[in-house]
Amino acid sequence: MNDFLQQFLLESRELAEQATAALLSLERAPHDAEQLGTVFRAMHTLKGGAGIVDFFAMERAVHAAEDLLTAARAGRRTMDATAVGDCLACVDQVLQWLDTLEETGELPGGAEQDADGIVARFERDTGEDASPSASVPPDPSADGDSAGVSAGSYASDRLPARARDVLAAQIALVHGASGGSHGHLLSAAVTAANLLRAFDRAADADELDRIAAMRRADNMRPTLHAVLLRLLEDQPEAPAAAVAGENLPGVRGETTSRTLRVDAERIDALVRLTGEITIATNGLAHLAKVAYTDGNPMAAVLKDRHAAFAHLTADLQRSVLGLRVLPLRVVFQRFPRLLREMSAQLDKPVELKFAGEETEADKAIVEMLFEPLLHVLRNALDHGVERAPVRAGRRKPRTATIEMRASREGDQVLIEVADDGGGVDTARIRRVAAERGLADADSLEAMTEAEVTALVFAPGFSTATEVTTLSGRGVGMDAVRAAVERVGGRVSIHSEPGLGTTVRFLLPFSVMMTTVMSVEAGGQMFGVPLDTVVETIRVPQHRLGVVGAVRAVVVRDQTIPVFDLAQLLGEPPPREHPGDATIVIAAFAGQRCGLGVDALGERLDIILKPLDGLLAGTPGIAGTTLLGDGRVLLVLDIAELLQ
Amino acid sequence: MTRKVLIVDDSKLARMAVIKALDSLHPDWTRFEASDATAALEIVRREAPDIALLDFNMPGMDGLVLAAELRQQSPATHVAVISANHQVEVVNRARAAGAAFLPKPLTADALREFLVGVPDPQRSVR
Repeated sequence: MNDFLQQFLLESRELAEQATAALLSLERAPHDAEQLGTVFRAMHTLKGGAGIVDFFAMERAVHAAEDLLTAARAGRRTMDATAVGDCLACVDQVLQWLDTLEETGELPGGAEQDADGIVARFERDTGEDASPSASVPPDPSADGDSAGVSAGSYASDRLPARARDVLAAQIALVHGASGGSHGHLLSAAVTAANLLRAFDRAADADELDRIAAMRRADNMRPTLHAVLLRLLEDQPEAPAAAVAGENLPGVRGETTSRTLRVDAERIDALVRLTGEITIATNGLAHLAKVAYTDGNPMAAVLKDRHAAFAHLTADLQRSVLGLRVLPLRVVFQRFPRLLREMSAQLDKPVELKFAGEETEADKAIVEMLFEPLLHVLRNALDHGVERAPVRAGRRKPRTATIEMRASREGDQVLIEVADDGGGVDTARIRRVAAERGLADADSLEAMTEAEVTALVFAPGFSTATEVTTLSGRGVGMDAVRAAVERVGGRVSIHSEPGLGTTVRFLLPFSVMMTTVMSVEAGGQMFGVPLDTVVETIRVPQHRLGVVGAVRAVVVRDQTIPVFDLAQLLGEPPPREHPGDATIVIAAFAGQRCGLGVDALGERLDIILKPLDGLLAGTPGIAGTTLLGDGRVLLVLDIAELLQ
Repeated sequence: MTRKVLIVDDSKLARMAVIKALDSLHPDWTRFEASDATAALEIVRREAPDIALLDFNMPGMDGLVLAAELRQQSPATHVAVISANHQVEVVNRARAAGAAFLPKPLTADALREFLVGVPDPQRSVR
């Protein structure tokens, strides 16, 4: 893919995200001129980009959306659900095209037809609304209704629909195509003040009077805009930091020169290099030990030097891994859109809130979280959030709330998904568990509520049968748990009957990914770090000679000692193998040696969990990893093993 | 004679396209890039470019307002505003700010035509 297409891909993705966030925000607040401006600019730039790379189909499709947005900005159309839906559909199509481009390296064929579909959709839906009248007399006897804005849990003393229309008209005036001269602003402020006075909103009216008294248009405009908007939405002065989807800052943050955009692959290369430096440093340790044993006068100095290196290497590794952190916002921001669809399908209005989305974690963790969180969200909506009549009966707001929270706890990251639904239905779990034979009736009787809740993690509990990428074993909380444990984390469910459910994830802040070669020795599987493997050979038994007390093999004129891996690990000495010997030749500290194994497995990319607790001091073992099928693989520390 | 050109656009892709057009005409000229008005004004202060090509559609200060600023700060710089939006109003506002208007996507031909008008520094003072 040439430079232009690469840049086009990168920028278009960011613009699409910006547009989506702004559109979702507009859905809840259709008159927010700032968000409207953001969508418009994003679409305009998307169109421009498509023109630069000669992607004519995309130009056409996005142009249709841009026309709608232009009309909306001019006050000729409202951003109602249809308008927002059409624009979102256009952005979706763009994203699909971008995916195809990334996969194939070329602009997608058949795009013209897709573009036709999008254009047709916009044409079908052109209903230009009459602009809201600016001279409607306020009617104090009209009761406050929700004016068609998507359900929210606002206070009931909102201004009635017509008053809101007037306010909206004033906002349009402030941001009109003519740029909002002082005269326009003055007129808007005064009209709004009179309106509010008629509704006994004296304090708000006074504020508008003060704004009307401002001399300079460019001071007046942003203040007036902000106040009018606030009045329209009936929101408190200071917007909370954790408001649903609408205020997630875009991924695109390169307005200052203090940030750099770096290719993820370069960072991965750096991580690998750091790993190799660590190994080389370990070689120094070995050297220092040998010098000590030999009584070499350099021993003490070498030991110090090694210690210095080890510190620096550890720091380097921490810093480099720190480059790979991403804010959780990156995964969180994929959900508002998906939740909107699920919520519509199930007819359960729900608001998604975020907190702590700037908390950071390793890229591998952030990326891995998408499917588990999606599954948990689905559960919350399916099982947690009650249907409208039930919620009403429980005096809960019509719109349910799901909050996704992230925070740092020491060297771990805590992520919670909390809903205000009915909590976990333990009676249902008991039934299902009994049905599926997960536990017998007596055990179920004896279990506490918490224990029953934990049964959802049992394999075989889930009722769905589709297979996902989570673990190949199907959807369900068991797959979620497996995915989380594979990166060294834990997941748990906490439920308060009638009040809600919280799913809690505790994950390590950073992870170490390495590639290992799996081998079989003494009937068990082990992982050999690939960085230590030079080559693997199979030789007939007779080529293994004995040199002193040790077996050896000659490879390309080099004599290499060979040790039986099973024996090194404390297994009983092997019987003589009938066939060829399989030898993994490993290098460390500048030396080579061979490890005799029973069989070779495959190369695996794994996340290494260092040993902790009782096993921490076990020599020869670097750590463990959880394989996809749930087995634990011991990963060897070759240098230690061979000392 | 080599000249200094400033290219301002929040989209790197768009800047790449302008540079490509410029390269096809004058590969030896010096270019400076900025992704927003603030950075652009800084470059103008430092480098006093001969020519400035500004995108209209930018967040914050848009190209037209920036054009007016530039004409004030550096009257000798020849400014052109680039936009896909060909409305008469935009073109007029550009002219009123003392800048030329160039349609987007920018072609080498349009750029060449604009540059033809550049040699004589405009002496009108605002």
